[in-house]
Amino acid sequence: MQPLRSSEGSASTLVEAPGAAPLVGAPVARLDAARLLRGQGRYIADIERAGMLHACFVRSPHAHARLGAVDGAAALALEGVVAVFAAADLPHQPLLDSVRIEGLRKTPQPALASERVRFHGEPVAVVLASSRARAEDGAELVRVEYEPLAPVLDPEAAAAGAGPDLFEGGNLLYRGEIVAGDVEAAFAAADHVVSARYHGNRYAAVPMEARGCVAEHDPGSGELTLWCSTQGPHQLRRRLSQTIGLPESHVRVIAPDVGGAFGQKIPAHAEEVAIALAARAVGRPVRWIEDRLENLLAAPHAKEQLIETELALAADGTFLGLRARILGDAGAYSHNSTSALIEPYLSAGLMPGVYRIRDYRCEILAAVTNKSPVAPYRGVGWTAGHTARELLIEKAARQLGVDPAQLRRRNMVDSFPYESCTGMLYDSGSYVASLDRALAEIGYEELRREGGPPAAGQPAVGVGVSPYVEPTGWGSDGALQSRWSFASHDSVRIEIDPSGAVTAAVGTPSQGQGHETMLAQIVADGLGVELDRVRVVSGDTSGTPISTAGTRASRTAVVVGGALALAAEELRAKLERIAAYLLDAEPDQVRIEAGRFAVAGDSAREATLREVAEVAFYDPALRARLPDPSLSVSRFHDPPASYANGCVVALVAVDVETGAVTLRRLLSVEDCGTVVNPALVDGQVRGALAQGVGGALLEQVRYGADGTMLSGDLRRYKLPKATDLPAIELHHECSPSPFTVNGMKGVGESGAIAAPGAVAAAVADAVAHLGVEIESLPIDTDRIVAAAAAERS
Amino acid sequence: MKSAAFAYHAPAAVGEAAALLAAHGERARVLAGGQSLVPLMHRRIERPEHLVDLNRVAGLDRLEAGPEGLRIGATARQRQVESDPAVAARWPLLAEAIAEVAHPAIRNRGTVVGSLCNADPSAELPSAALALEGTIVAAGADGEREIPLADFFTGPGETALSRSELALELRLPAPPPRTGSAWLELARRGGDLPVAGVAAVVSLDADGRCERVRLVCANAAPVPLDCRFQAEALLGAAVDEEGAAAVGAAVAAAAGPVDDYQGSAVERRRVLAVLVRRALLLAAERAGGRS
Repeated sequence: MQPLRSSEGSASTLVEAPGAAPLVGAPVARLDAARLLRGQGRYIADIERAGMLHACFVRSPHAHARLGAVDGAAALALEGVVAVFAAADLPHQPLLDSVRIEGLRKTPQPALASERVRFHGEPVAVVLASSRARAEDGAELVRVEYEPLAPVLDPEAAAAGAGPDLFEGGNLLYRGEIVAGDVEAAFAAADHVVSARYHGNRYAAVPMEARGCVAEHDPGSGELTLWCSTQGPHQLRRRLSQTIGLPESHVRVIAPDVGGAFGQKIPAHAEEVAIALAARAVGRPVRWIEDRLENLLAAPHAKEQLIETELALAADGTFLGLRARILGDAGAYSHNSTSALIEPYLSAGLMPGVYRIRDYRCEILAAVTNKSPVAPYRGVGWTAGHTARELLIEKAARQLGVDPAQLRRRNMVDSFPYESCTGMLYDSGSYVASLDRALAEIGYEELRREGGPPAAGQPAVGVGVSPYVEPTGWGSDGALQSRWSFASHDSVRIEIDPSGAVTAAVGTPSQGQGHETMLAQIVADGLGVELDRVRVVSGDTSGTPISTAGTRASRTAVVVGGALALAAEELRAKLERIAAYLLDAEPDQVRIEAGRFAVAGDSAREATLREVAEVAFYDPALRARLPDPSLSVSRFHDPPASYANGCVVALVAVDVETGAVTLRRLLSVEDCGTVVNPALVDGQVRGALAQGVGGALLEQVRYGADGTMLSGDLRRYKLPKATDLPAIELHHECSPSPFTVNGMKGVGESGAIAAPGAVAAAVADAVAHLGVEIESLPIDTDRIVAAAAAERS
Repeated sequence: MKSAAFAYHAPAAVGEAAALLAAHGERARVLAGGQSLVPLMHRRIERPEHLVDLNRVAGLDRLEAGPEGLRIGATARQRQVESDPAVAARWPLLAEAIAEVAHPAIRNRGTVVGSLCNADPSAELPSAALALEGTIVAAGADGEREIPLADFFTGPGETALSRSELALELRLPAPPPRTGSAWLELARRGGDLPVAGVAAVVSLDADGRCERVRLVCANAAPVPLDCRFQAEALLGAAVDEEGAAAVGAAVAAAAGPVDDYQGSAVERRRVLAVLVRRALLLAAERAGGRS
């Protein structure tokens, strides 16, 4: 093995091929790096099948319309166009959200729109041709009759019943409440009440590889195979089975390399169902590669919420109670990723955050509008709620004239386990320590001393603190604590073949996180073998055990890693029994280390893993000692909930004459319990922070008054670029979970949750002297410029 | 995002290219760096039937700085111009403006002349080149002609070139002594087209008084907005905060910016006033520093 270098600049430790030292905790270089960097990855666009056709969707140009006839004759007349299918050509059951929550109405979503289109970009027909270019030529010629309807765009108006109904029963899909303690008494006893409004922006996840799939139907076996850029192959298999009407035994879903997903690839997408149906109907394999314009227009959006908050405080700054109203803009369908509640429900459950709040009431609403549906995106639900709460606390600190970091600190949860008033059991954490560490690292005291309005011609400088708690490692218990009844368990299998090689099969594919490496480290340590002996396979429903939820909710390390650690322990015990037979020793005398078995106190008696595997498979006499010597262990795992925490701090400079915001420093203290691979953790933290900064300063899905998309390319939907970010400063605390295997917690979403609040709070701090409140993101810099101009004149 | 079908031509000489344009006129587009045209073709917003690729025409990538001035050929890359020591020394405004155009990977392919022909009023190079009083040399079926940039930009994406004409090169005159310049812009992200941008060129006399000034604003009008009239209020005196601010206010009043995805017209006027003031002061300071 080649020497490995940690990703951390300061810790340029070379990690040699580890021998007996534990791999868990080491910054092992990614096992997939060489393959991916050399262009040897295999993504959907690399998959070719004999006779394969290429698909292009005809998409609605209207936000809301009655759908009339679809005429593909002119397209079919083009050379190379093989088929044009509309909804009526591909009968199927619609997609439905799968959660069971009382009072939540269902909104059936067809694979191709029929009778009605409900958002700009909704697929109406699909053209199959000899090339994608020719399919696009054909799509231009498909004639579709539309009778436009008034679009419903404002979620408040939708919730209030205004505008034409998207579905029977109205546009408000859900209204409910969380009540904890006696919030009215808490407010009655308050010395201060501070209220705020926040409009959390509509995001697009923008994975580098957009969506896509290849479908092939085998008429002989009746099997449908879908290669798909997905996070959840088993979940997608289930949805395909339900919509298409094949048993799951006859649906095979394969996730090859996936180039980013961030939650957008959790749902079964209408297009994927349509491609599967089209391939069966046309009798040839079909490939669909979504382009960037389609992805921004029609792939699910995320995160938009309208939030009103109210905080009751005692004279000394103690938080007494919290009230909130959260309205989620679900877009056109209650999406099958979970439902229209995915944003407001999760937001409401975590609204108390890291603070001791016992008296809490939150009204939760979800409405449909004529926009692309909302699905998960990194930090799902929590980004908007966290940002709203932290901006509320900033405002409270300003109104009370106290330091915002100290106000937070005085109200923080500081003993564990702690059950929040919404029923989350915070297992362990370093809430206060992470805040203190972050303040020390940024030099907070000094920054506050220098604070105040800027001198003429100088930028306004501000600092923002955003401590977070993050539900991670979702098994079914974690989901339940976030108020979802949601099967979120995994099974895994570890096998050793006669050559002594180890294969770990898991149901959670990687989308670039480095799971293969992290899981191999756990397996190698658990078995006592070398890292390069372990191969991790995932993502093929025909060969990997079931993951009901797939890769989501920062759950792979805790649930799948935990399952593998348990399976490895069992398999190791079995190996040591077989080795004892081979070496003529007692099992408790035999130990495996780095792939070699040794007998305690007798260095002459040794065996390799290969020799032990040979015996297990090919020595019939072994069965007298061990009736089942098979070297295959399967393990089910559904761990208790765990909660990561940390603190993000941003330092900004605002040019109040132009509105330009410069992010001078961005610092994060992360605590995800026991770390399997610090290099991978740092990569996760960095990526999420970048996406959080994007949401704070730049990113916004925009629709025009007629409901057509205004941010449909990467010039208009502004992702942050490397040049827009400072060098990110990372620090770590470690509070292992008492409830999970190895004390692991999940990681990967914290920056997306907490960075928008940090940056927004920093800007609010910088421009406080102008009386500008931040009530929406991305920051409207022109409001700052206008306020500064008004102050000057 | 696949282009509609087109015929591809790769002429080896200017005459051959001009003949192709003469033959195909409106149905042809010229390809130099392709950084704007090709994405538009992939979106089928541009649907040329014929694409005339200049990259194989020998000599068009020239970049020559002489006593008369600077000549930049039609296929000279932005990165090449930006990195040229003579450009940095004598036409620093150009290098400063190019550095704000997208990112190095795009500037490695994108051309200066192509950006001018693209005539995006929000882009850096049309405004910067106009402030430097550039001239386009165009070739058509009837031979060559010179078009001063003051007459070149006729609207968003529109120029004085006929569809059968080809821009061969940009010529920039040598700047006078004691000249300083500045390109300032507000962009939402590094590499974005500016919300608003300003090119200022100030020449001082031996006593430090403003002797000559050129000021052009990007994204302030349907074409690069020549604000020389407003800026010439500074002539005959040292450029100071008050004078520069007055020019800024006058430019903001005279500009006709639009509302678009980057910002509102109101915001643009506010920002233009600030950038004009800062750019004039910075250019004057640099002019003084060089004397």
